[in-house]
Amino acid sequence: MKKYIYHVSGTHCASCKILIEDVLNEQDFIEKAVVNLKKETIEIETESDKNAEEIAEILSSKIKPNGYTLSVEKIIIDKKSDDVIWMAIPIGLVFLMLFFLLQKSGILNLGIGGAMTPVTSFIIGIIASLSSCLAIVGGLVLSLSAKVTQDEKEGSTKKLFVLFHAGRLFGFAVLGGVLGLIGEAIGINFTLSAILGLIASLVMIILGFNLLGIFKKNKITLPSNIFKFFRKAEHTTLAPILIGLGTFFLPCGFTQSMQIAALSSGSFVSGFMIMFSFALGTLPVLALLSFGSVSFAHSKNAPLFFKAAGVVVVGLGLFALLAGLAGVGIINPLFNI
Amino acid sequence: MNKTALSIIIIGLVIGIGIVVMSGSKGDTNTNNTKVEQVQNVEIKDGIQYVTIDAKGGYLPRNSNAKAGIPTKLIVKTNGTYDCSASLVIRAIGYQKILQRTGEEVIDLGTQKAGTPIQGVCGMGMYSFVINFE
Repeated sequence: MKKYIYHVSGTHCASCKILIEDVLNEQDFIEKAVVNLKKETIEIETESDKNAEEIAEILSSKIKPNGYTLSVEKIIIDKKSDDVIWMAIPIGLVFLMLFFLLQKSGILNLGIGGAMTPVTSFIIGIIASLSSCLAIVGGLVLSLSAKVTQDEKEGSTKKLFVLFHAGRLFGFAVLGGVLGLIGEAIGINFTLSAILGLIASLVMIILGFNLLGIFKKNKITLPSNIFKFFRKAEHTTLAPILIGLGTFFLPCGFTQSMQIAALSSGSFVSGFMIMFSFALGTLPVLALLSFGSVSFAHSKNAPLFFKAAGVVVVGLGLFALLAGLAGVGIINPLFNI
Repeated sequence: MNKTALSIIIIGLVIGIGIVVMSGSKGDTNTNNTKVEQVQNVEIKDGIQYVTIDAKGGYLPRNSNAKAGIPTKLIVKTNGTYDCSASLVIRAIGYQKILQRTGEEVIDLGTQKAGTPIQGVCGMGMYSFVINFE
């Protein structure tokens, strides 16, 4: 039995510890692997006769797909990741610029009159998914997707996203039906949705900085028990569905208008159809964001993708935060998008 | 790539985004047009002052000038409006409502004193308008 201590880079959250330990403990020749997050080291016990460098290489290849590297020597400054951030910031900013220009262009303000049919609500869903609502809902989806793909294996992330989108589609439909049935407002509470919006934008900013990896020393992380909950929920499958459902209550003018339409539709079936086709209209963009994250995250451009996504998410989060604060009257409106 | 060049690109993009985000709505780009609307959107009929504002993809005009000391009503016109501007909040009078897709909403502002502008924002806070009382 031999003991080795390796340096590990890329660990930024409590769930990374669990993940790395899981992966390494799966290897036959490893008796025990313990990650020390503070020191960024891994202590392993092994039966193998291979030398420290060879073991480092084998183990590193196992955790590399998840964005971690293991080495005998401490990597003091990862020069490559330093270059990546210089590329990622302009790329992220270009996407933010395009997003705001799209809002300014007025293309999305085309009027849709007439009766509310499933077809019109589908079209409004498509418009909504490109509108300023994308700042909150899309930004949240992107940040959670990027974060989850960084921490989880490919197979389980895809399952999480399928559940999220299913939860969103059917949650919207059922809640829309309920609105039509009772004809009374649920979730159309300004203050509640504004507070949810502020929480969502704070989560985006935290996750965004996390993706950027800016705070090398003082990493901002969500409490580890939240991640434990998600990991547990991965088995119960409830959490992604609930988050999908929860997007119903996030502040978005389009969603609120559609809720009113469902409300005045007068029956469960028509309310159900209106909200279902609206959510279906928002699906292509949101699915692209989440499943796009998965495929990028497992390509060789993964570090660039994570950092560029971090820039976009921080930008959208700040925008949503400032707008949300203006919405609840804490600060004066700063902009008119 | 060269870091200096990239820094310049980054600064340029940040300034660009700043300009896009901070610049006014469509109304401000054509000042003449805005002025005409400012004159037209406030009228006094039978001792009541009516301020009319269009709500669709933002509020237009963004700045209105009304007279103080007269009972004032705000008319918000929607026309196939689904975006954030349909969810209107006017904090000064405790008003919040999701407006109909198409129609006119008449909101009683009461009699306002000079120098106390009334601000309306949409639920998410990205669109706003101000009515000044003089």
